[in-house]
Amino acid sequence: MARMKFLCDADRCIECNGCVTACKNANDVPWGVNRRRVITLNDGLPGEKSISVACMHCTDAPCAAVCPTDCFYTTTDGIVLHDKDLCIGCGYCFYACPFGAPQFPTTQAFGVRGKMDKCTFCAGGPDEPGSASEYQKYGANRIADGKLPACAEMCATKALLAGDGDLVADIYRNRMMSRDGRPQTWGWAKAYGAGA
Amino acid sequence: MKFRSALLAVGALALTVGLSGCYESSDVTRFEPGEYKGADDPLLAKLEDPEFRAELDSRFDGQRDR
Repeated sequence: MARMKFLCDADRCIECNGCVTACKNANDVPWGVNRRRVITLNDGLPGEKSISVACMHCTDAPCAAVCPTDCFYTTTDGIVLHDKDLCIGCGYCFYACPFGAPQFPTTQAFGVRGKMDKCTFCAGGPDEPGSASEYQKYGANRIADGKLPACAEMCATKALLAGDGDLVADIYRNRMMSRDGRPQTWGWAKAYGAGA
Repeated sequence: MKFRSALLAVGALALTVGLSGCYESSDVTRFEPGEYKGADDPLLAKLEDPEFRAELDSRFDGQRDR
């Protein structure tokens, strides 16, 4: 069985924010919510690196561990999804997540957070795949259509890889063979364990 | 005497009615903590289909460098 993972190749990311735009466009993400973002380290200095960050779909997801309503579930492929009908917007998942993935729309009065929104690996939610309610709540379900997540599919330099962990690791290993330096599988140890 | 027994009857009735409000059904739904309680995702069944899996894998394989 496949184990879905994201990997951002920091040596290839050119900070074009195409992944962010593709995600927002494909999932109709509301204003104020960024399911994916590009972080630049040592911005403006020689050797700066950019990384595209979203929910990493952790093996032992801390968000799911702290959720008081247990609205998270993990597919057989390791994609961490949540049920917005159960979410109470408490924000515990936001505090628990090491990647800052859970987002909350802040358009309501009195600081009400609203239902949590995060990257779904373009796999929607527990509603009928392709239904209007699923799209409205979770965005596109590209996985059900046999497609990659929009961010990875749109990446011009193929810096952002998505898919089965073995395949992603194989692609990255082949790249590293023709490069100097050490592999930088940013976030993998935290998301998938020390041996990942 | 008659008044006292009537008073007792009314008191017993009030007690019965009052206590019935405190009744708690023992037939409760128990959930294990950490167990997902939402609706089932139809995608999970679809992911088990080998044909669909092959389609998905070939799409993922397209990320290789040319």
